[in-house]
This record gives sequence, C-alpha cells and structure tokens, in this order.
Amino acid sequence: MSEAETSGAIKRSSRSSTRTRRKKKNQVPVGIITGIILAGLAVIISLIDQNLGLFWVTGIIFGFILQKARFCFTASMRDPLLTGSTSVTRAVLIAFAITSIGFWAIKYGAHINGLPIPGQSYVVPVSLATAIGAFMFGIGMVIAGGCASGTLMRVGEGFHMQVLSLLFFIIGSLWGAHDFGWWKLNVISNGKAIFMPDVFGWGGAIVVQLLIIVLLFIAADKWEHRKNEN
Amino acid sequence: MAEYELDCLGEACPLPLVKAEKKLKEMEVGDVVIVLIDHSCAMKNVPEWARKEGHNVEIEEVDDGEWECVIEKCK
Amino acid sequence: MALKDNKFYKMWFKDAWPYLTGAVLLSLFQIVTLASTGNPWGVSGVLANWGAWLYQLVGGNVDKWYYFASEGAQKTLDAGILKHPGTYRNVGIIFGAFFASLMASQFKIKKLKSTKQIFAAILGGLLMGYGARIGFGCNIGALFSGIASFSVSGWVYAIFLFLGAWAGSKLLVKYFM
Repeated sequence: MSEAETSGAIKRSSRSSTRTRRKKKNQVPVGIITGIILAGLAVIISLIDQNLGLFWVTGIIFGFILQKARFCFTASMRDPLLTGSTSVTRAVLIAFAITSIGFWAIKYGAHINGLPIPGQSYVVPVSLATAIGAFMFGIGMVIAGGCASGTLMRVGEGFHMQVLSLLFFIIGSLWGAHDFGWWKLNVISNGKAIFMPDVFGWGGAIVVQLLIIVLLFIAADKWEHRKNEN
Repeated sequence: MAEYELDCLGEACPLPLVKAEKKLKEMEVGDVVIVLIDHSCAMKNVPEWARKEGHNVEIEEVDDGEWECVIEKCK
Repeated sequence: MALKDNKFYKMWFKDAWPYLTGAVLLSLFQIVTLASTGNPWGVSGVLANWGAWLYQLVGGNVDKWYYFASEGAQKTLDAGILKHPGTYRNVGIIFGAFFASLMASQFKIKKLKSTKQIFAAILGGLLMGYGARIGFGCNIGALFSGIASFSVSGWVYAIFLFLGAWAGSKLLVKYFM
C-alpha cells in the first residue's frame, strides 16, 4: 500500500524529525461503540419500517465506502485539468460501466417480463437547464470542496467548512425549487427525455454505452501519460 | 538543502495539492518540503501526485487524522 | 497481536482503499439500490425536502411551488422528515463516513480556517443547490444514476459538469487560495 508509513529515507533536519509529537489517541474503541449504536438503530428502524431500515443501512454502507476509498466525484471532474491526474476519473468510469451492466439487466429483465421498468424517473429531459444546472454544480463543487455525497461524507469526517456548505446547499436547493416552475415552463419543457434503449434498441444501448465509456477511459489514460512525459 | 514547511491543516481538496505543486516549483533540487495535511483525501492524492512527478515521498501519520507528507524535490 | 498490526484490520479499516475497490463496491450497492427500492441512488433531491421542512419551521409555505405541487411531493412533505427514506440514507452517509474515520483512528474536527473558506462554502453550496434542482440532480442522481439509467441527460450533464469544474478550478486558484 502506498499509504504505508515509511521513514528514514529522506534526510530531514533534526528540528522537524525529532519534534515532540502529541501522543496519538486510539479512536477505535469509540468507533466500535459507534458501530454498535448504528447497528442497533438499524434493527430498531427496520422493526418500525423495513423500507426505512434498508435506506439507513445502505446509507451507512455508501458513506463507509466513499470514505475508505476517498471516492470523490468532484476530483474525477476537476483533477484532469487541474493536476493532470486521471486516477479517480478512471475509477468513476469503471463504476459507470459496472453499474450500467447491472441496471441494464434489471431494466431489460422487467421489460421482457412485461413489468414496469424501474428507475425511469431518473431519465429526465435534456434541455438548456441541464447544461446550466450542471455548469453551476461543477463550479460549486470545486469551490466548496465536495459535491453532495462528498459534502455529507466530509461532514462525517469532522469538516466544519462542509457543514456550512451543506447548509447553503439546502438553502440553494430551496431557492432552485422555488424557481423550478419558471425553468420548467420556459426551458425544460422544450427538452426531451431520451432513454437510450428507445433509440438504439436494448442491445444497441449497452454496446453504445460501454463503447463511450471505453473510449473515455482510453482518453483519460492517454491524458495522464501525456502530462507525465512533459 | 533547504527545508520548508507547508501548513495545509484545515484545507480541503484540491488546495493542499495546488499549494504543494506551487511550492515545489520554487524549490531547488534536493530541497525538502513537509506538507502538513489533515484531509483524508489529500493524504492520498498529494503523495500519489508527487511520486508520479518523480520526487521522493514519505507519508507519516503524526496524530489522529493528521499527516506529514515529506517531499524531496528530485528533478 | 495488537489490533493495529492485524492484517485484516489494516486492510479493511486502517488503510485507504484503492479507488478501484470503491468503484466496484459503489456499483454493487447502486445495483442493490435499484433492485430493492425501484430507484437508483440520489442525494440532492432529499436536500430540497430538508429545505422545505426548514422553511415550514420558520413559517414558510411551499405548497404553491410547482416543484412541490404534485400529489407525491405533497404526501412526502406531509408525512414528515421521520418517514422520509432519503433522509435516512443521507444521514446514514454522514454516520458511515464518521464510523469509517473513527475505525481508522483518523477522525479530527477541522474548524474553519479563514474567511475565504466561509465565502467558498456559502457560494459553492448555493451554486450546487440551485444547479442540482434545475439540472435534475447532483453527481449521484443526475450523473452516476443518470448515466447508468441510460438517460442521455446523464452524458450531457457530464459534459457541462466538466466545464463547470474547469471554471471552478480557475476561480478557486484565483480567489479562494
């Protein structure tokens, strides 16, 4: 692991290398107690309402994974141009590919069995509002040091800055919801929701999707190495 | 062979990395900078970036959620 | 053997995981989420509801707003925050990350450092909140779930998100550093 502690190879001044360190506290016992409380809450919530329990447990799992892997959607969009690194970008592309295959199976399975296709409310109209909204979001997440999931995760890690940005995220959401009627009437209603299987067929949609992802992956890899050679 | 300290405590991504990048540009080959970090993402991406650039890098956890990333400029 | 030297403790709790591990596990639970709840993962829509409940607390009323006017949205608002599944998931994310950082013995309160950080957090938060509403979601709902749901909107979102992140980086380096 690259995170493994190393010592000694780089010569440091005696001042900095023998600096008195605060003694580390062991937080693991608190962590174990927290884990027991979270699990206990999961049982209680599930007994009251199974669905709420499911959301609670998956939320904890998502938070745990995001924190452990330092998985950051903001970095995936920001780092290629800012630092030339595409390692997070490539990981995000891999997540897109795996999730697409899983979603395809679930959706296609529903389709051939004549059942309603789940999750179609996430197929939303493409309009100028998509472009403006995404652009605003892109600026915001870089300045605030985290997107929605990243902000929640960093609140859990103890960042006061992200507590503040979460508060203003909520206020901004309310503002956006307030204006949503205008956007819907004047902008969004001009757009159309496009579900790729409707255009390319079910087989074609997964082929086109994976092809786009593979091409982006190759481009990200080339970008990383181009920067390296300079 | 100068030694510098870069205080990035309390800074969120990407500032620790951008600051380290700027500092390394000003330094001579052989100089060392100690980047103080308390952001769990920066403790991963600062060393990763510096290694990719070909510098000598060490990362040490000095306190709960605090790291010192020692970078020796190699080129 | 002390816990901190245990191989599995180090692998699962202490060291950061590779990004690839994160990608595989997040994908797995995205698929679990769609299969078990009928919808993919979303984060920011919940925050709009939190905003509405806060607004109601201070005496505001959102019933006439187009965004909250549908029968489903009204039902969710009336049921309250304690019956709101998305709230449990978002709060779960906070506690999952809290738990993860404690188990690694790496939790630390990070106070605000400068006025620049305060402005950055306020401006960034407002832009994200507003952008997520008119763009139908955040990096999770509109980007990750949108693309994986084979919605062309997800790819369009990705392009403009990338441009926004580029502009944001320029602003950050210039004004917030």
